[in-house]
Amino acid sequence: MSDEEPSSDFDQEHSEGAGDQPENARISLQEQEYSPKVNGRLQRQHRVFYQRKAKKIEQILSKDPVDIAELRQQSISRGGLLTDDLRRRAWPILLNVNVKNITPKPEAAVLQGHRDYRQVVLDVERSLRRFPPGMEEQHRLSLQDSLVDVIMRVLVKHPELYYYQGFHDICVTFLLVVDEDMAFALVEKLSLGHLRDYMEATMERTTQVLNYLQPLLKKANPELYDYLEGAELGNIFCLSWIITWFGHVLNDIKSILRIYDFFIACHALMPIYLTAAVVLYREKEIFETEQEMPFLHALLSKVPDNLPFEQLLSNAGDLYILYPPVELANEALKRFRRAQAQAAARKQLALQKNAQRKSILPDGNVTFAKVTWWMLGAVASVAVYALYSSMDWDWSSWISHGS
Amino acid sequence: MSGDLASRHSYDETPHTSRSEMVESAEGGAVQIVEKQVQRRIFKIIVIGDSNVGKTCLTYRFCLGKFPDKTEATIGVDFREKAVHVDGEHLKLQLWDTAGQERFRKSMVQHYYRNVHAVVFVYDMTKMSSFENMPQWIEECDRHNLNKSIPRILVGNKCDAVDRVAVNTNLAQKFADSHNMPLFETSAKDDEKANHVDAIFMTVAHKLKNSKPMMPPHLADFVPGEVPRNVEYISLRGSPHHRGLQTAARGQCGEKSDCGC
Repeated sequence: MSDEEPSSDFDQEHSEGAGDQPENARISLQEQEYSPKVNGRLQRQHRVFYQRKAKKIEQILSKDPVDIAELRQQSISRGGLLTDDLRRRAWPILLNVNVKNITPKPEAAVLQGHRDYRQVVLDVERSLRRFPPGMEEQHRLSLQDSLVDVIMRVLVKHPELYYYQGFHDICVTFLLVVDEDMAFALVEKLSLGHLRDYMEATMERTTQVLNYLQPLLKKANPELYDYLEGAELGNIFCLSWIITWFGHVLNDIKSILRIYDFFIACHALMPIYLTAAVVLYREKEIFETEQEMPFLHALLSKVPDNLPFEQLLSNAGDLYILYPPVELANEALKRFRRAQAQAAARKQLALQKNAQRKSILPDGNVTFAKVTWWMLGAVASVAVYALYSSMDWDWSSWISHGS
Repeated sequence: MSGDLASRHSYDETPHTSRSEMVESAEGGAVQIVEKQVQRRIFKIIVIGDSNVGKTCLTYRFCLGKFPDKTEATIGVDFREKAVHVDGEHLKLQLWDTAGQERFRKSMVQHYYRNVHAVVFVYDMTKMSSFENMPQWIEECDRHNLNKSIPRILVGNKCDAVDRVAVNTNLAQKFADSHNMPLFETSAKDDEKANHVDAIFMTVAHKLKNSKPMMPPHLADFVPGEVPRNVEYISLRGSPHHRGLQTAARGQCGEKSDCGC
C-alpha cells in the first residue's frame, strides 16, 4: 500500500469538513481499506455490510443506558467502530469515562515541574511521523503541544504512574480522533487499566507481560516456538508493539485505530495475542530466515503494513479463547523467574571477573608478590636443606656414638 | 516510498547476506554481486547513551548513508547492519541501537549486551547532562559482563551545532583518556561529516578485524592502553600521530572545520 493512500483517507476523515460528509461516503472509504482488490459484487456486499454495521452501532449508542456488551461486541468484530465520529461517542462509554466530569488542566508550571516533563517533550518533538503528512505545520505544532499536556496531565494526576517511551504513541492516537480533554480522560482510564503494568517505576511488570508470548507460541505452534527459542530470540522485538498497541510500528492510522477499537474492548493481555497472531502468520518467513537472533529480530521487529489485520485480529481472538491467560500464567512466571536467576548469575560472574581483574591487573603489585613468593620459597628451601643435612649429620653421629 | 517508511525497513535495504555470502561492491554506479565461499566474520557493536543524543541517527547514517528524515524515540532495541571491506576482508558489522530511557536499560537491554564485540558510547555535545551520565553507562557496561578489553569508543554527537556546544573537547578528551577510549566529535546530521561517521565505525571495524576472530573477546590480544595508537585505518589524509584513531578520523572530517572536530 502506498504512503499516499492512507494519508488522503486520513485527510478526508480528519478534515474540518468531515462531519458534513454523507455517512455513505465515509463508509465507502472504510470499505476500500479492507477490501482493496475485490470485484464489484463483493464491493457491494462489503458496502452493505459496513452500512448495516454503522447503523447498528448508531442504534446501540442512541439507547439510554447503552448496552455496553453489545457495543463491545461491535468494537471487536470486523471493521471495529468504523468511523472517527462513532469512535468519539463509543470510546468514552467502553472505557467508562464520565464525560461531564473531566479533571481540569492544572497550570502549566505544575505540568512542567514533573520529573518526566523533559523526557516527554523530547519524545513528542520527535513524534512527527505520527502526524499525517498533509497536516499544516501550525496545526501539527498545536497538536504536539496538546500531546505534551495530555501526557503530563495523566502523570501529574497520578504520581504513582511513570512515563515510558511509547506512552506518547498511545496518546497521540487518541489525540488524532478526540479533543485534548477527552484524550486525557480516555488515556487516564487506560493508564489505570490496560496500560497499568507498563507504567511502573521499573519494567519488571512489563517483562512479566512479555513472558506470556513464548508459552502462547509454544501451545499454538511448537515447531515455530522451538525455532525461535533455538535462536534465543528473546522478546524485545515486540516490546514496542505491546506497549504502544502497535501505534509505534504501523504507518497506517486506519489500521492503528481499528486495532485500538479491538484492544479497548478486550482483555489487557490481548496485545500479546495479536503479537502471537502476527508471528504465527509470518511462520514461513521465519523458517526461511537463518536461526540466529539478529536476523530473526530484524525480520520480526518490523511489522509490514500490508498484513491482513482484520484476519489477524480474528486469529488473536481465537488464540485467546483457545489458550486464555490463566493457562499461560504459570509458564510465563517460570520463564520470568528463570530469566531473573540467569541475569543474577551473569551479574555475579561479571562482578567476580571484575574483582579478579582488579586484583591482578596492577603490574607493580604482581611483581612484588612474585618476588615475595620467590624469596619466601628460597628461604624455606635453604632452611629445609640445612635442617635435613644437620639431621643427617646428627643421625649418623648418634649411630656411631651408640654403636 | 517515503523516507520514514524506508527507515522502518532499514534492515531490508542492507544486503542480507549472512552465511550464503553475497558480496556487494559498487563499481562505477553498477552493483556487482560476487559469490564468496568463505564465511564472513560478523561483529556485534552495541551503541549506548542517553535519550536523544543521536544513537539512531548515527547508526542510520553509517548503515544507510543518510540522515533520517523523521527520527523517533527508540523503543527497546533496533538492529541495523552493514557489510564493510577492511584490508581485503569482508566483514559484517551489526549495530544494536538501544533505547536511551533509563527504564529500558535497566531490565530490557541486558539480553543485547551478550557477546558484544565493541561498544560505542554516545553523548550529545550540546547537552552536558548526557556527558555527565557517561560514567553510569560505562558502569552499566561493566555490570553486564562486558570485558574491559573489548574495543570501546566515545562519540560526541551534534558537533554541527557550533553555538550550542556545552561539552568542552578537552574535558571530554580527559575523560576518554582516563577510560582508555578514543574520542570522536562528529555530527550525524551534517552531510559533510558523512565520511567522518563512516571513519569512526571503520576504525572500530579495523580494531575488530585485527582481533583474534574465533576467541571470546577477552582472550583477544588487546592491550587497552595501546589500542588507540596501534590501529591501522584506510584512506586517510596525513599520517597518524599521537592519538592515532582520532586524528585519522579528523583527517576525513576535514581539518579545522567549523564544528571544531
